[in-house]
Amino acid sequence: MTEVLARLDGITRHFGHVKALDSANLEIHSGEIHGILGENGAGKTTLLSILGGIIHPDVGFLEVGGSRVRLQSARAAWKMGIGLVHQHFTLVPGLSVLENLALGRRHTGHRWTLHLKEIRKEASQLGKLTGLTVPFEASIEELGVGDRQRIEILKALLRNPQLLVLDEPTAALAPAEIDQLFRLLRTLAEEGRAVVLVAHKLDEILSIADRVTVLRQGRTVMTAVRADVDTAILTDAMVGSSSSEGEAPITPARNALPALGQSSDGLAQNRESGNRSVARLKGIDVYSPQGGLALQDVGLEVMSGEVIGVAGVEGNGQRELALVLSGRQQVASGKLEIPEHVGFIPQDRNREGLAADFDLTENVALALHRDPQFRSGPLLRWKLIGLHAAEIRSRFKVKSSGVRALARELSGGNQQRLVVGRELSRLPELLIAENPTRGLDFTATAFVRGELKKLAHDTAAGVVLISTDLDEILEVADRVFVILRGKLTPVPSTHDSREAIGAMMLGSRLEVH
Amino acid sequence: MPEVIAVVAFLEASVRLGIPLALAAMGETITERSGVINIGLEGSLIAGALGGALGALAIGGAGGGILVGALGGALVAMIFAGFAVGLGTDQIITGTAVTLGGLGFTGAIYQARFGTTGTALTLPTLPSVPIPLLSDIPIIGSALFNQPPTTYFTYVLAPVLWYFVYRTEWGLELRAVGEEPDAAAAAGVRVKQTRFWATVFGGTLAGIAGAHLALAHAGTFTENMSAGRGFIAIAVVVLGRWNPLLVLLAALFFGSASALQFQAQTFGLAVPYQLFLAFPYLLTLLALAGWVGKSRAPASLALPWPKDS
Repeated sequence: MTEVLARLDGITRHFGHVKALDSANLEIHSGEIHGILGENGAGKTTLLSILGGIIHPDVGFLEVGGSRVRLQSARAAWKMGIGLVHQHFTLVPGLSVLENLALGRRHTGHRWTLHLKEIRKEASQLGKLTGLTVPFEASIEELGVGDRQRIEILKALLRNPQLLVLDEPTAALAPAEIDQLFRLLRTLAEEGRAVVLVAHKLDEILSIADRVTVLRQGRTVMTAVRADVDTAILTDAMVGSSSSEGEAPITPARNALPALGQSSDGLAQNRESGNRSVARLKGIDVYSPQGGLALQDVGLEVMSGEVIGVAGVEGNGQRELALVLSGRQQVASGKLEIPEHVGFIPQDRNREGLAADFDLTENVALALHRDPQFRSGPLLRWKLIGLHAAEIRSRFKVKSSGVRALARELSGGNQQRLVVGRELSRLPELLIAENPTRGLDFTATAFVRGELKKLAHDTAAGVVLISTDLDEILEVADRVFVILRGKLTPVPSTHDSREAIGAMMLGSRLEVH
Repeated sequence: MPEVIAVVAFLEASVRLGIPLALAAMGETITERSGVINIGLEGSLIAGALGGALGALAIGGAGGGILVGALGGALVAMIFAGFAVGLGTDQIITGTAVTLGGLGFTGAIYQARFGTTGTALTLPTLPSVPIPLLSDIPIIGSALFNQPPTTYFTYVLAPVLWYFVYRTEWGLELRAVGEEPDAAAAAGVRVKQTRFWATVFGGTLAGIAGAHLALAHAGTFTENMSAGRGFIAIAVVVLGRWNPLLVLLAALFFGSASALQFQAQTFGLAVPYQLFLAFPYLLTLLALAGWVGKSRAPASLALPWPKDS
């Protein structure tokens, strides 16, 4: 019989007025990979943080190895054999890889030295066993997301946990890297350890988990053996049967959004219906801050009415490409033709998309304040902007207390709806979207993807979708490019299978690991 | 050989002027490594100077003065850290308030205690202790090794702090807190405690530096006698790239620039002496711009933690 390794029983936890967890339960067996599913705000990360000793429950208790424990701190959780790999990287950029590993492995001897040699020996042995090879001397800043993820996992494994808890470890990895990670998790489970895994993507959970638990609005709504469930059952459990009352259905039936008083159909007609070039890049070189070339001889023509997908592993020049296309990047050489107004949906909505302490109206004004429609002389027509903000709010279903709500009070999904709504309502000729659905649940994800397609196909805009999520590219894009080490390569339509593009994204890196 | 005498005098003045800067800057290095910039350092310095004077008179000796001076500096830093670290107030504004408050408060205490008679206070001084053999080295010997005990303490402290920062778990935690406090917290480091005590440590050294000013140099206390050294020390930290050993060298360099100014005046050079004073700041600016070596401040310097408090 399987042995219960850890058990969370009746866990309730509030953050202010918000009930993040509501009598949630979770039982983890040794030797299993346990997948946890749920929409944004369902309480997944909170539940994991409680396992990791970072957050303490208001009500409920935790059992490890059959006895009740109170985990007062992250350190207490390690001592109980629980290793948590956070959703956001917890590596210190200014330190070397080895120093970061040491930071996770303190208190093993006296504190007046650093046991770097021992840690290095241990880590390289463990690395050989698990395939997690990392450059010990490198500084974190020099490394890509894949390396950082490996370091995080290695850091957790160095503490020899019986229970490894991973929050969204696949978000930034290429398909081959995900396969490698999953093989490692399987090995760990076969050793009799347990793995708890959160991932947004259903198919990932279905491909690896032995059992699945679904959370909805802080409650455990289902725990099932993998063989007993399929996509439909899990989706139902995550969204709930009464989805109409919650978030919007996947494709909200409505007109494509016109700017105030202007119908999109009219506009689409104004724009030539034929294929017209909206942006043209030729031989673009861009230097990276480190001195190398971030973009190398990049050529791209964006036609009206199409979505171009740029796939690639993070850190291969996507950022620079997005900046070039939105006219915010100095190019070293090459020819660049872009329209005056470019819509931009940034990947980091908190830093580039929204001002957290501005309310909805002010955030909308940020993008519109140059538009003569919303100005009279040097003054802004706040009333009109407020109406426009209210329209965006209702049309894009931004859940908030009103247009006076501060951006920081919105959930991640609603913040992104606001950004998308604002950018789309300007009916840009060219729209750049950079990982627009990162961290969103699938209702919000489907919504954003649908809007991108609609913008291109209904209003004849050119859309460039830059994403590390290959499934997203395949779903939305009409033409696919791969970006690798600053070079942009078109994917021939004869070779646009998932596997082929995945291999192109990694280039020769396949042989390296 | 007047040239040799001039050089010896110049070196001697460089060390004399550099040491208080070095002490304060090495303390500030530890503080800044934790992600706190203590602009209130000047307040700790002047409190240290007054504490040195009061302690030397009350306990009756320069040693007692150093001790009370260190406490004075630590106390001022605790006030700063209580606000800036404990309550997460803006570090620049808090530090400025602490500096201005420190200068005013010490002046008030001094006048209350010693009146406004105008006669200078006479304090017991720290004697110079020549180190056998080393102090006999020609030219540099007496400049470096015929100095008060606080100077030798500074020499020893620099490598000790270097080892602490780069080679101990404490140092690793300190650097992690200054770079990425969230990550440090996730690794089980107590961010606020680390920052608090790193700031108090910096204030303690600044207090010793202030007491050294009063007891080793002047033999007296005057209002505002710290004369901006707290701010100069913050520039020294930048030039020394947050590395205790380089910070010691940078402090001696700033000291020699001030010394050069005196020499230039003595010899009546046609060059305006202010240029010599400006030179180290120019170099600091270049260091900040990345033109002199690779200079990178702790990533979370001056940022309150937790972020949303």
